[in-house]
Amino acid sequence: MLRASSETTGEALDARAITDPSIDPLVDGGRHLIGFVDAVLGGGDVEDSRASLGGALGSDAVVDASGTIANFEMMNRIAEGTGMPVGKGSLVRTEEWRSLIGLDRYRHV
Amino acid sequence: MSLVVLNAADVAGRGTKTVAVTVGSAGWFNARMTPFLKEVAIPIRREITAVFAREWSRLATAGSYWSGLQRIEIAAAARQARAGSSAGASALPPAATEAASLLGATPARASRSWVESMVADLGSGPYVEIVGVVSRAAAVDTFHRAIGSPLPRLPEPIVGDPTGIHDPAARSGPAWVPMVGGASIVGALSAVPPEAEAQEDMHGPLYLTYEQMQNLEFVRGLSRPQMELVAARTSALNECFY
Repeated sequence: MLRASSETTGEALDARAITDPSIDPLVDGGRHLIGFVDAVLGGGDVEDSRASLGGALGSDAVVDASGTIANFEMMNRIAEGTGMPVGKGSLVRTEEWRSLIGLDRYRHV
Repeated sequence: MSLVVLNAADVAGRGTKTVAVTVGSAGWFNARMTPFLKEVAIPIRREITAVFAREWSRLATAGSYWSGLQRIEIAAAARQARAGSSAGASALPPAATEAASLLGATPARASRSWVESMVADLGSGPYVEIVGVVSRAAAVDTFHRAIGSPLPRLPEPIVGDPTGIHDPAARSGPAWVPMVGGASIVGALSAVPPEAEAQEDMHGPLYLTYEQMQNLEFVRGLSRPQMELVAARTSALNECFY
């Protein structure tokens, strides 16, 4: 979805930032977004990162980011808890990206 | 800003006491009278508060295999595990507590052999219901932490017997639990239809509806690339390939 939306909208993206937060994702406000996710899930200073994100992208962005993190907390648990397989077609289509960002370090069925 | 009156059964899933809530312009919801999103300085979309109220109502009510009290105890065990503490005393079977705790705190540790052992102890339907309850409770708690609100207190249980609702068409396949119509993340909980419906109910307000997902140029507070960056980073931190 990230690759497809980036290609569709023409918004720049360095996907390596997904697994390496030292890299600028190039997406508008991307560093603030990554920092917010890391603070929420990693036990960091959520208040500071929320203020930073809100200052950069606005309060609606904070709500959307919070909702997206929450949704994927749900979906990740469903995927892990049910052993959701990744189809062979998806594996073929995403091979280059998986290599780029080191995604294969995570288990898939 | 205007006042509306809701039946409390819509908000907390119990009783018939009426409560007043304030609704601002553009459908923003100020839920001072609900357990959700206290002390929040920014406006929250009404659909988010509303789906949290529905989820707490579902949590308190008997599901297909677990009573309202047991569902709350499952959510409580998961919440305690995320906080780094052991589950408190409950009447849950030990395997249910173990499932709730692991899925709540460290879902990437769920292996095929572990899921098979849970299913052997609990049955696939009861296990799938635990996956649903824990995953949605995690979403509610995570949103509160992200937005800067104390976690909502868990609801009081509603007395009632489990319904036994399940889909007999669910079949074993490449995933670790039976599903209807092949393995897909949308159908992951389809063996227990109320859990699959609850998953879809949460998905739209928090992120995008399944239909909105098809629109890669969708913009709300974030553009799609921004949303997907957040989603991808979340999955990476959870060590989830999905």
